[in-house]
Amino acid sequence: MPDSKKGLILSLFLLPVFVFLLSFLIGSFHIPAGDLLKILLSPLVPSLKQSLPEGYRSIVFDIRLPRLLLALVVGAALSVSGASLQALFKNPLVNEYILGLSSGSAFGAALSLVFFGMSFPPQISAFLFAVIAVMIVLLVAKNSNSPGLSLLLTGVIVSAFFSALLALAEFFASPYSLQSLFYWLMGNLSLAGWGQLAVSLPLMGIGILVLVLMRWRMNVLSMSDEEAKSMGVNVRREKLLVILMATLITSAATSVAGIIGWVGLIIPHLVRMMVGVDNRRVIPLSAALGAGFLLLADDLARSLASFEVPVGIFTSIIGIPFFIVLLKNSKKVWL
Amino acid sequence: MNITVKDLAFSYRNFRLHVENLSLEAAKMTAIVGPNGAGKTTLLKCISAILPVARGSLFVDGRDMASMREEERARLLAYVPQEHNTAFNYSIRDFVLMGRAAYLSLFSTPSSADVRIAEEALEYVGLRHYASEHYDQLSSGERRLVLIARAFAQKSDILVLDEPTTFLDPKHETEILDLAKKLAEEKKKTVLVTLHNLDLAVKYSDVMVFMKKGAVVACGKPDDILDEALLENVYEIKMSIIRYNGRKFIVK
Repeated sequence: MPDSKKGLILSLFLLPVFVFLLSFLIGSFHIPAGDLLKILLSPLVPSLKQSLPEGYRSIVFDIRLPRLLLALVVGAALSVSGASLQALFKNPLVNEYILGLSSGSAFGAALSLVFFGMSFPPQISAFLFAVIAVMIVLLVAKNSNSPGLSLLLTGVIVSAFFSALLALAEFFASPYSLQSLFYWLMGNLSLAGWGQLAVSLPLMGIGILVLVLMRWRMNVLSMSDEEAKSMGVNVRREKLLVILMATLITSAATSVAGIIGWVGLIIPHLVRMMVGVDNRRVIPLSAALGAGFLLLADDLARSLASFEVPVGIFTSIIGIPFFIVLLKNSKKVWL
Repeated sequence: MNITVKDLAFSYRNFRLHVENLSLEAAKMTAIVGPNGAGKTTLLKCISAILPVARGSLFVDGRDMASMREEERARLLAYVPQEHNTAFNYSIRDFVLMGRAAYLSLFSTPSSADVRIAEEALEYVGLRHYASEHYDQLSSGERRLVLIARAFAQKSDILVLDEPTTFLDPKHETEILDLAKKLAEEKKKTVLVTLHNLDLAVKYSDVMVFMKKGAVVACGKPDDILDEALLENVYEIKMSIIRYNGRKFIVK
């Protein structure tokens, strides 16, 4: 490995750490850097607590920390699942959005929110409907002469179907829950408290862990199914595992943060441009860059204007032009 | 390792493959020939267990292939596809390394020993210096060699090659078949290839298998079984056989 690449890889891994520490400084309430350092160290050094102004600790630990953690984990999880799905489907344009996972999760979570309220974890219903959505997409697109094209088309149709169901759920929602539904759906990291995170973070963590462990296997799975099979891979079983993990990640992320689109497409692609296509590097580095990217995007979303822009809108505004450029410049015919 | 086929059947739309009896000897090179649509590739894919085969129809050294797990099978038999298409342009080293999948569990990554095996495989096919190049930079002849290297890294006793010489010029044709022959003789591998070029099949194979309409018509040493009547039966056109330098040549 050339030394220049080593430096690049190291800095990609350090990026989320830097962004994480800096992000504590950002927020509508100004906390000086010196005080911030004391607050962050206070769980380890209890004596520091006395010298701090009232409420500082609560702002940092109850408001900022969950939001920053959520941004890191959602960014990493969506990027890792995007990179894995792209390898699995042998198509760099695939993402959780195209497979119907996002809209299925969103409908499931909304349904849970409308009928069971905030106290019931929306992750269960989100997962269930994400599974239904992806199964429909895969079954319809199966056995097609041009699998790439039919996958994209079916994905669009299934997404539209679940969006219609979602609109129906919104129609039945009370005006109060409609408003929170609306902000959440646009992709928002500010709504989740520790209670919601306690469910979603471990689920996303499991997804990231399994997919990162499978990083080399993903190279083999990106070969044609016949080749992978002849090389000793149980293609059906391993594909199912990857799709299951991607579904887990998307439903857990959507349940707490709404639809944050296109991260899973942009990040793996940028990583491949930097370090090549070997998934042993692509998948862990996608986690790092995705975490740093979404946190940075969220920092911008909450500090650019006097009001908060939902970060999902932000990532879509960056992501869709990126997707078009990718589609235009792709040398290979994927469809 | 020897391969025994007993009553192997596979149907696809209105095509039916049915091979009653076929034995392939260890450390020999066998060529399957026959017209387009005779079922050569289908038979190859059945033997490689890429297409599903019923229990009791395919045995390697007496062991039923249909009851083995994927990785077990892949350690016995490696399949070299006609061509490889991927959206991702791997380096040649990473590409050949994938041949080690049968020895690595779901969550593991290749060790330095695996990398060494992949590099030795590249060395064996004469492409060691290309290890850091990328797949789409290679010519089609070199790509075939890389595919063979990947199968070689799989360290199986049986090697199955699907039309390894299509679209290749005579020099690369020879290079690929010399390599296949070398693997049979030097590395004692049981090599099975499908070929369209009959002269090459006669020259390189120890055993020829003639197929027509999903069935095996004849099987044996080229010297023993090859005659004009057989060729006319299989290909439905008249061909002549001439002898030159002690070898049979086919003139259309």
